[in-house]
Amino acid sequence: MKKAIILLGVIITCLSSCTVVKGYERVNLNDPDMELSSRKIDRFETNFQGYREAASGANGGKTGGGCGCN
Amino acid sequence: MKKIPLFLACLLMVQFSFAQYDSTKVYKKRVLESAEIDFMFSYYSQDGNNAAVSGGTGTEELTDAVPTIVIAVPLNEDDVFTIDAAVSAYTSASSSNVNPFDGTVAADPFQATSGASGADTWVNVNVGYSHSSDDRNKVWSAKASIASEYDYFSAGIGGTYTRLFNKKNTELTANANVFIDSWTTIYPSELRPFSDNRNSQGVTALYNKNIAGARYSPTFETFTNKGRNSYSVGLNFIQILSKRMQGALLVDLVYQQGLLSTPFQRVYFSDVDSSFIENFRLADDIERLPNSRFKTALGGRLNYYVNEHIVLKTYYRFYNDDWGVSSHTASIDVPIKIGGGFTLYPGFRYYNQSAATYFAPYAQHLSVSEFYTSDFDLSKYNATQYSFGLSYTDVFTKKHIWKFGLKSIDLKYSYYERNTGLQASLISFGVKFVLDKKVQDLLENSSD
Repeated sequence: MKKAIILLGVIITCLSSCTVVKGYERVNLNDPDMELSSRKIDRFETNFQGYREAASGANGGKTGGGCGCN
Repeated sequence: MKKIPLFLACLLMVQFSFAQYDSTKVYKKRVLESAEIDFMFSYYSQDGNNAAVSGGTGTEELTDAVPTIVIAVPLNEDDVFTIDAAVSAYTSASSSNVNPFDGTVAADPFQATSGASGADTWVNVNVGYSHSSDDRNKVWSAKASIASEYDYFSAGIGGTYTRLFNKKNTELTANANVFIDSWTTIYPSELRPFSDNRNSQGVTALYNKNIAGARYSPTFETFTNKGRNSYSVGLNFIQILSKRMQGALLVDLVYQQGLLSTPFQRVYFSDVDSSFIENFRLADDIERLPNSRFKTALGGRLNYYVNEHIVLKTYYRFYNDDWGVSSHTASIDVPIKIGGGFTLYPGFRYYNQSAATYFAPYAQHLSVSEFYTSDFDLSKYNATQYSFGLSYTDVFTKKHIWKFGLKSIDLKYSYYERNTGLQASLISFGVKFVLDKKVQDLLENSSD
């Protein structure tokens, strides 16, 4: 796990030194489908996956509490 | 329709309470131009033959309908208030078998009973508040939530802090959440008479049923700790990589402690003789799991703008926890704009996980073990999901219902399948309305 965190740090450092894209050059990046967060309609999918699968996290997280035991 | 003016009055009250008069106010682009309302609905159904409530065998049939409303209100140029409420009404054949003997049909793990335990309602309310700095390079947000169902209550608080730098090419978000949950413990019906405070009448009543096989006399201890606390911290790093590509790295650490077992999930031992009532094997014990769990998730997203019609969205996550589960998740979505405001959303997702150390299938645990579960959600499996969505967006909100303009409509179907046999389908629908700018301005001026 330590290796993964160090690797993550290296990646973050490298990525943040990429070419700067100016505001007026972001027409494509501002397309709503380019958003890095999930779409609102996908919240139901994330919820049932969180209940049915042992893994969770690193995907926007659950929107509310609950045991997910059914 | 009388409810709509009432809703506007509520918006006005919220804005009055937050508005501050400032004679030196200068124009800033608003974080949220106008109040937005999302109405959403989902219908989920699943079936399989490994129900945890009957020890890893039996029907997993479940349906769940969830109407949801999300309201976002701009309080001024910088601040947004959101409220998010959902009600989930589910029927579950497996949870009806918490008490398989209360129906009119013979008890059977593959058959739902007509008793009361097969349906429940889950209610969830989240409220959130966010504040952006004047230069929009810093964003604070806080949220609080409650969720309640028959045997479970959850209260949560959380906060995030986002910092943009490198001319808004780089974004770093830190978040933290705490959920304080509590159980109303419900045990399998046949074990209840044998709990710590033995109920001789209950035992007699149970023995009056026609028990086949070995004499049924389990040693059953109830849980004393009925709380479950979850603490999570996360870090999101977003980077613009080129004029067409941006990516994100996500890290979440979660620590849970308390009652992490589900009290009504049965376990059967291979070294204990079995007893039956009708076709239902009586529980040897319930699921017992450690009272703490530490989870680590590392994820990454990469989006690429191919052309004005197509975007590629990819996602990968590695997950690991101290119960022995590790998993990989990968997905790809390809939004395709087909013109007229319509977009198609085909997608594919692959998931696999290793089994938790404490998992074994039906009747394979030993009674001398400290921890055990036959919940197939903790088994080794892989799963695939195919999805297809259709979205309509009207950026100019030309179509109106009273003072609200229609912004978008979304429809999505997903089919999920595990190699253990579980199959699930999900239909989701959402419609977004935006309050007319004129009405929004009127509300703003009133509050000033």
